[in-house]
Amino acid sequence: MEVQKEAQRIMTLSVWKMYHSRMQRGGLRLHRSLQLSLVMRSARELYLSAKVEAHEPEVPLPPVRSPDPRLHQSREAEAVAEAAPPDGEQPSPEPMDTREAPRAEETPALCAPRPAKVSRKRRNSSLSDGGDVGLVPSKKARLEEEEEEGASSEVPDRLQPPPAQAEGAFPNLARVLQRRFSGLLNCSPAAPPTAPPACEAKPACRPADSMLNVLVRAVVAF
Amino acid sequence: MYFVLRRKSALQVKIQWGPMCIYFPPTVGAGGGNDIQWCFSQVKGAVDDDVAEADIISTVEFNHSGELLATGDKGGRVVIFQQEQENKIQSHSRGEYNVYSTFQSHEPEFDYLKSLEIEEKINKIRWLPQKNAAQFLLSTNDKTIKLWKISERDKRPEGYNLKEEDGRYRDPTTVTTLRVPVFRPMDLMVEASPRRIFANAHTYHINSISINSDYETYLSADDLRINLWHLEITDRSFNIVDIKPANMEELTEVITAAEFHPNSCNTFVYSSSKGTIRLCDMRASALCDRHSKLFEEPEDPSNRSFFSEIISSISDVKFSHSGRYMMTRDYLSVKIWDLNMENRPVETYQVHEYLRSKLCSLYENDCIFDKFECCWNGSDSVVMTGSYNNFFRMFDRNTKRDITLEASRENNKPRTVLKPRKVCASGKRKKDEISVDSLDFNKKILHTAWHPKENIIAVATTNNLYIFQDKVN
Repeated sequence: MEVQKEAQRIMTLSVWKMYHSRMQRGGLRLHRSLQLSLVMRSARELYLSAKVEAHEPEVPLPPVRSPDPRLHQSREAEAVAEAAPPDGEQPSPEPMDTREAPRAEETPALCAPRPAKVSRKRRNSSLSDGGDVGLVPSKKARLEEEEEEGASSEVPDRLQPPPAQAEGAFPNLARVLQRRFSGLLNCSPAAPPTAPPACEAKPACRPADSMLNVLVRAVVAF
Repeated sequence: MYFVLRRKSALQVKIQWGPMCIYFPPTVGAGGGNDIQWCFSQVKGAVDDDVAEADIISTVEFNHSGELLATGDKGGRVVIFQQEQENKIQSHSRGEYNVYSTFQSHEPEFDYLKSLEIEEKINKIRWLPQKNAAQFLLSTNDKTIKLWKISERDKRPEGYNLKEEDGRYRDPTTVTTLRVPVFRPMDLMVEASPRRIFANAHTYHINSISINSDYETYLSADDLRINLWHLEITDRSFNIVDIKPANMEELTEVITAAEFHPNSCNTFVYSSSKGTIRLCDMRASALCDRHSKLFEEPEDPSNRSFFSEIISSISDVKFSHSGRYMMTRDYLSVKIWDLNMENRPVETYQVHEYLRSKLCSLYENDCIFDKFECCWNGSDSVVMTGSYNNFFRMFDRNTKRDITLEASRENNKPRTVLKPRKVCASGKRKKDEISVDSLDFNKKILHTAWHPKENIIAVATTNNLYIFQDKVN
């Protein structure tokens, strides 16, 4: 459980960093985005493996079918990680559909209308475009109400429209972030700091705790 | 009569013939440990703690003679310092570095097609070897490389027939005699002018430039491609490395640094975010996607952690002056590679191993993404790199000794010998040691440079440039 929480925290932190990096001067940094996605992938794998271990005594359902409401947020993180994998492994379409379909049922107000089809379309169009426009935000107007939140007032206009067209490495990221994480980014105290890390007064190291050892062991075991 | 050449110690060379012998103290040589004492020489930059972002130093580079020292900052400016000619009478210190020229190299731009701002931050400066009275350097931001000519003007023509001294034209009818204009001395003026602008060749952010030993071409590298340019031609460049996958979602690694071999004009290396270095030979094919050598060290499984992939990313690669070795810097260590051995480095130096247990916190505060540079001394016997808390480290390859020093205004009396610092990793902290938790991670030394011939180093903190030199008795 601790491992799951830590992995989830790392995933959330990574997503926040990715979102924040789009707002930095100079645009999206490819190397930074790649590193963030690698960490997110590791966190996701750790989270999934920890969850599988935790659920082993019970009926072994796939994690996304669990009715546990706590998993809703983490599933979104997974979906984000699935939707934006610039890593070597291509997530197969079926798990993607499986994950996103129940989400569509549970949160009709927030879900993308046709997540599976849209994700396939984005991948194809990223091929046809050659990927170079992957750094370009779409010009489509935003339709959500959450944009009235305080945090999004900091977001420059050019980043608000969700990218329906090819985004290269992160086709769905901005839209999912806006829909799902605006609340998280605004108010969650357990979330990453609301100010950019560079603005922290004095970043001090957390003392090495047993959590990290557990993480290391879990990764090695996995 | 016989000659005996002995290396007496790391500090002296003795030549003996018959009963006579002469000792030569070399000007470059051992550093680190107890062999050399580093003294504060100068500090440049603002004193106040409130750092303007534009003043953050982003690159430091000595020229080939060491007489000039260039810095680039986030505001797109280049400041060049010149060493004073040594006072032969007062030989207790080497010449000071004073401001020689300041100019705005790059301005912020906006890419309208991609709706992206292009930062003016100077990523790299590289000097060209001097061919005439003027000096030339290449400076680059994320997208554009510029060739700058820095020239001196210390005389001006006077005595024109048709012009007054202030430039106004004289009425030709008033000219009754003719004279030949002559050059008269004037106050030294240093002018910087952009001679070439190499633009529109990089889709991604340029991280490296490197001048070829043929002094005619140079390479520029971004995250996915490396281009070869001719210094005279700005509208064309050749792509020599392209690691962009057909589908960007399959991207697994990016190029982090690239450099030409110092002697072989056909050889260059580039490092990747996966911790590998590829050596390529341009004679093999036009497109050097297939490497000639791949330098990679297998990962130590006991060190495997959540952030292994991030910290294995190489942030800098530098050839030794001899060309036999190359040095790479990743987040926690410096590695020296023999070009003849690909499977592991010949030397590994831990820069700040005490941070390995803090990687999670360093990820949170973004410090884990810091790109440290490294440099060789003139004789390739000592390597130097930066760390946190304004510490920088030197490793002597011969004696295997290392030293940690601090760039701080507390030691800013000239010729103050720097005291070695020590970080206490865990357990009881001894006197004068600093604990890991007390380190200031906002104070980082990413850029350092070593004079090519002497023991003079330039160390850049956030917005200050420190110059240290060895103690001259």
